[in-house]
Amino acid sequence: MKLNERSVTHYALSDSPADHTGFLRTWGGPGTLSTPSGPGRRCWFVLKGNLLFSFESREGRAPLSLVVLEGCTVELAEAPVPEEFAFTIRFDAPGVRPYLLAADGPAAQEAWVKALSRASFGYMRLVVRELENQLRDARQSLALHHGSLWKAGASRCKSQAPNHCFRGLENGHSAPNDSNPVGLPDCSRPSGWASAEWDLQGPANLLLGRGQSPVSPETSCFSTLHNWYGQEIMELRRGWLQRAQRGTLELENKNRP
Amino acid sequence: MRYNEKELLALSRQPADLAAELGMRAPKKGNVVKRRLVKLVANFLFYFRTDEAEPIGALLLEHCRVTKEESSGFSISFLEDTERKYRFECWSEEQCQEWMAALRRASYEFMRRSLVFYRNEIQKVTGKDPLEQLGISEEARFQLSSLKA
Repeated sequence: MKLNERSVTHYALSDSPADHTGFLRTWGGPGTLSTPSGPGRRCWFVLKGNLLFSFESREGRAPLSLVVLEGCTVELAEAPVPEEFAFTIRFDAPGVRPYLLAADGPAAQEAWVKALSRASFGYMRLVVRELENQLRDARQSLALHHGSLWKAGASRCKSQAPNHCFRGLENGHSAPNDSNPVGLPDCSRPSGWASAEWDLQGPANLLLGRGQSPVSPETSCFSTLHNWYGQEIMELRRGWLQRAQRGTLELENKNRP
Repeated sequence: MRYNEKELLALSRQPADLAAELGMRAPKKGNVVKRRLVKLVANFLFYFRTDEAEPIGALLLEHCRVTKEESSGFSISFLEDTERKYRFECWSEEQCQEWMAALRRASYEFMRRSLVFYRNEIQKVTGKDPLEQLGISEEARFQLSSLKA
C-alpha cells in the first residue's frame, strides 16, 4: 500500500503544534519482527495528532518511523533493560507485534502513556462532539433564560452568530486564495459516527454517555442550531405579539362605546 | 520512513465516514481516469481497486487543500507541493460537494481548531471551562496557545 510519504514527512517537520515530544528507547519500529532484547536505541519522538514519529535526533530532518495511533491501546510494560520505564502500544490487528518503548523516568512514562492513549482521531472527534453539545445546551438555556425578555435573547443570539470567527481554514492551514473558506464545523459531518466508537479507550468512554445528542443528531451544526433557537424565539415572539394584540383588541373593545 | 502498514490496513477495513466509487487520477498519470473505491476513515483517504480488498494507497489528510475542479470533480493537493494533485470525478455535483465538505473536516488539525473554538465559546457563555469538568484541561493538544491564526 502506498502512502503520501512526502506530504507526511512535510507535516512531521512543519511548525504545526506537537502534542508531545521526548527521547524514548525503542527496540525496533513498525515492521520489526524480532523480540525486543538488549539496550535498544534512543530516539527522539514527536507526537502530532494521531501520528507518532521517531527521529534519529532532535534535529533529525527525516522521520525514521511513523506509527498511526488508531485502534490501539497503551499499557505499562516491562523493559528488557533495568531502570527504564517501559510501555507498549498494542494494536488489535492480525499479526502485529506490540511496540515497546521506554522513558527515562516514571513521570515521562506517565505523560507519554496519557498522551498516546488519547491521541486517536476518534477520541478527538468525541471531545469535539461533546463540546458541540455542551455549547448547544448552554445557548439553549441562555435562550430560555431570556425567553421572557425575548428581545434580549434575540439580540444576544444574533451577536453570537459565529460566522466570523473561523475563516480560511482548510485542513489546518489557511488558504488565502480559497474562494470558498470553510466555515464552522457544521452539518456535513459524515454519517459514519459509528467508526469513532471503534477506537474508544479509557477516558473516551466517560464521554460517550453524554456525547450522544440529547435532542436530535441533526441539531449539532451551527446553522441548524441557529434556526432552531431562532424558532424558539420566533415562537415566543409570536405568543408575545398575539398577547399584545389581544390586549390591544381588548382595550379597543373596552374603549368602544 | 517505515510505518505501521498492517495497522493502517486494519484501519482501512473500519466503517467509513464516507465511501463511494469515484473516478481517480493520480498526480503523474495524466489523463488516465481509473475507477476506484474511495473510502474516508478518520484522517485517511484510502483508495482501492474495485475488485480488491486491500487498498492501493492511503492519503493522510493533514495540511491538504481540497479544490473544486470542473465537471463534478475535485482535487486534493498537499502543502508541500500544491501542483501535485490527486483528482477525483464524482457522479453528480451534489456528491462532489458532499465529498469536499467531508474532506475539509477530516483532519486532526481541523478537529483541534474546532475544539479550541468550542471551548472558547462555552467559556464565553457559561464562564466555565468545559475541559476542566472532563479532567483534560491541561493537555497540550487542547490549549488555546496551540492555535496559530
